[in-house]
Amino acid sequence: MRSFLLRRVLLALATLWLASTLVFAFLLLLPGDPVQAILGLEASPAARQALERALGLDRPPWERYADWLTRTLRLDLGESIRYGKPVGELLGERIPLTLGLVFLGLGGALFLALPLALLALRFPLCDLALSGLMAFLQSVPTFFLGVVLLYALAVHLPLFPASGFPGFSHPWEALRHLSLPALTLTLSRAAILFRMARGSLLEVMGQDYIRTARAKGVPETWVLIKHALKPASLPLITVLGLEGGFLLTGAVVVEVVFALPGMGSLALTALEARDYPLLQGLVLVMAALIVLFNLLVDLLYGLLDPRVAYA
Amino acid sequence: MKKRLAWFLLLGLSFALAQPKGGELRVAILAEPPVLDPTASTSQEIPRMLYDNVLQGLVKLNEKGEIVPALAERWQGSPSSLTWTFHLRRGVRFHNGAPFTAEDVVFKFNRARDPKSGHTHPEYYQDIQSVEAKDPYTVVFRLRQPNQDFLFNLARPDSVIGPKGRVEEQKTQPIGTGPFRFVAWERGVGVRLERFEGYYEPGLPYLDRVFFRFLPDPNAQLAALRAGDIQVIGLGVSPENALVLQRDPNFKVITGFTTTEITVGMNNSRPPFNDIRVRRAIQHAVDKKALVEGVMLGFGTPIGSHRSPGESCYEDLSGYYPYDPAKARALLQEAGYGPNNPLRFTFTLAAPYPYERRLGEAIAAQLSQIGVQARLEVVEWATWLSRVFRGADYQMTIIGHSEPHDIGIYANPNYYFRYDSPRFRDLYTRYLRTPDPKRACEIMKEMQRLLAQDAVNLWVMNAPYIAAMRKEVMGWWQNQPTPSLNVTRVYLNR
Repeated sequence: MRSFLLRRVLLALATLWLASTLVFAFLLLLPGDPVQAILGLEASPAARQALERALGLDRPPWERYADWLTRTLRLDLGESIRYGKPVGELLGERIPLTLGLVFLGLGGALFLALPLALLALRFPLCDLALSGLMAFLQSVPTFFLGVVLLYALAVHLPLFPASGFPGFSHPWEALRHLSLPALTLTLSRAAILFRMARGSLLEVMGQDYIRTARAKGVPETWVLIKHALKPASLPLITVLGLEGGFLLTGAVVVEVVFALPGMGSLALTALEARDYPLLQGLVLVMAALIVLFNLLVDLLYGLLDPRVAYA
Repeated sequence: MKKRLAWFLLLGLSFALAQPKGGELRVAILAEPPVLDPTASTSQEIPRMLYDNVLQGLVKLNEKGEIVPALAERWQGSPSSLTWTFHLRRGVRFHNGAPFTAEDVVFKFNRARDPKSGHTHPEYYQDIQSVEAKDPYTVVFRLRQPNQDFLFNLARPDSVIGPKGRVEEQKTQPIGTGPFRFVAWERGVGVRLERFEGYYEPGLPYLDRVFFRFLPDPNAQLAALRAGDIQVIGLGVSPENALVLQRDPNFKVITGFTTTEITVGMNNSRPPFNDIRVRRAIQHAVDKKALVEGVMLGFGTPIGSHRSPGESCYEDLSGYYPYDPAKARALLQEAGYGPNNPLRFTFTLAAPYPYERRLGEAIAAQLSQIGVQARLEVVEWATWLSRVFRGADYQMTIIGHSEPHDIGIYANPNYYFRYDSPRFRDLYTRYLRTPDPKRACEIMKEMQRLLAQDAVNLWVMNAPYIAAMRKEVMGWWQNQPTPSLNVTRVYLNR
């Protein structure tokens, strides 16, 4: 177990290094520079030069890269070019919202998908309707779903606020503002989880021990919940891990639709402004979160299925 | 004197009765600026929120685009136009409580004209030889040579005055003399302003608080307006949304003029647009009226040179090249293009600007009517800035030039149009050095005609100013002669 963890952590570190190095390299290839983005259209060449020097952009790329690497090793992500604030601080402001959104979306999706999958298996008529509905939800683009929900539940039926985020200092208000965006993510992700759960439940239902349970006269609903649910949820965990990473990127779209100041909108601004340190920091953190999700899934797997060995 | 005071009081009282005071106004703006100091970045979002709301200069532009007193009560120029004396308003305080004096003015303009200071536009001030404080309330500017735009440049957002010695902090915590004081910049969310109790104009402003919210997505803006999260979409409402909101009794739509010329830029130094016949053919091939009607649903005014109808000394040249596809074809033929050898080029559109992008697509369709093949290419804003704007690495592009009074860009042969005309440069210099405003106006008109004659670019239209708001919002500016969303006299009629 310990060597497994150690190996995973080393692999994670290598992944992070590779991801951020690639970002650094790709940014150099992209046209456009932060100085023009800050100064705007009509800036004079003198002003440009002054700012370039102030930001250290007049130094060669490898020097800037080495500088970034050494500072990152000291857990200092540098300062954002556009905002003039430490990257760590900016990320700290944005991460809670995005993580909150992802967990609400993921939790909601699971909460919705599992009971529906059980329902579908129990009643064939439900199965048809639900499968159709889920296929539809899966094919609707997230941003469109977001706009529809926005108009239905914020504009016409003013149940929720349409956009923005008041911060976590007012938990109730924060939750209200997160409800619609989270619902959007929930609905779009529930479709996949539902199909996955339904599929693996069906597979499990064909197993011998289910037949044994039925033969013993266990009621069908109980068979589903007691005997089928746990083994069927294993593949679901894998999907959940993948979905975590997917939601992180899906949150970008939802954040734009609902004007939420999360990591997604920060990443868009950083890219537009060619804010190298901020983008590097963002990629590093996003990659770390995805690696972490996968690690958690692996560990969870071992807990749920003792047959999995950490080799 | 007593009588006048009584009148003032009465006037003030009647205003106070007419305009309900207080309340919070929430306004959507499209983007978040990098800093909050207009002298540190030319991002138009900065003056949009802060010019004349928080930060002021010696003079300012009013709703009609006229230059009116701000921190200077009055001023006079010498007959030679070389010496300008400004008499400052007394009793003005900055938002931090410090008194505003001539020293602040001297500090500001000494910094502004120093190219090493990092001020965005030192060239606006390069004709200033010296700035002196004669006494705490009198400032004398001496110019090297007459400059027709001197006063206009002092009215620009770049000329706002902060407390003496305060430079770095202004970028994130701007302090000014305006009716509102800056409270907070919530990154990614918005900027909060609050009524400044010590403002020198009695009774102003009417609102208690203003919140400018960054809402980059037009759909999110519309939804937020309808849901009541915001009360005003400050600018950039799409024509379709404007029509929808116009029909809804809860909202009103305000339309007016801007100083934005939507310009199809042509690279005058590169084939095929280094040939004036090709540039003229393009002018005849585009039907501007159809673009206004079809793409903009009737919003916008066709123009024919680089000046907006709302600006002074405007010359209407929108009919200079009438829509005439046959003539366009003939001109192209003369230049060596025909059915067997069609004119082909790349038309670069900047991704973040929906008006321009749609107009560009429609223009490409109109050009295809005369056999011209424009290959559309959409690039991201940072790419546009570095490739098209800085490197002039393009053939044709389209963008709105929103700066007011910016015809001087054609006097710079390195500007991205690469228009190199000694005659235009000469005219521009003469315009700047002419002390007589009437004569200067004539030269300004001549410059517009010369640009049209040389067909430097295709000027499509003056971008409409379209704002939408809940019907209780009163006193919103009809026009946009400055980038500012001026909320000094805005109130909520509840």
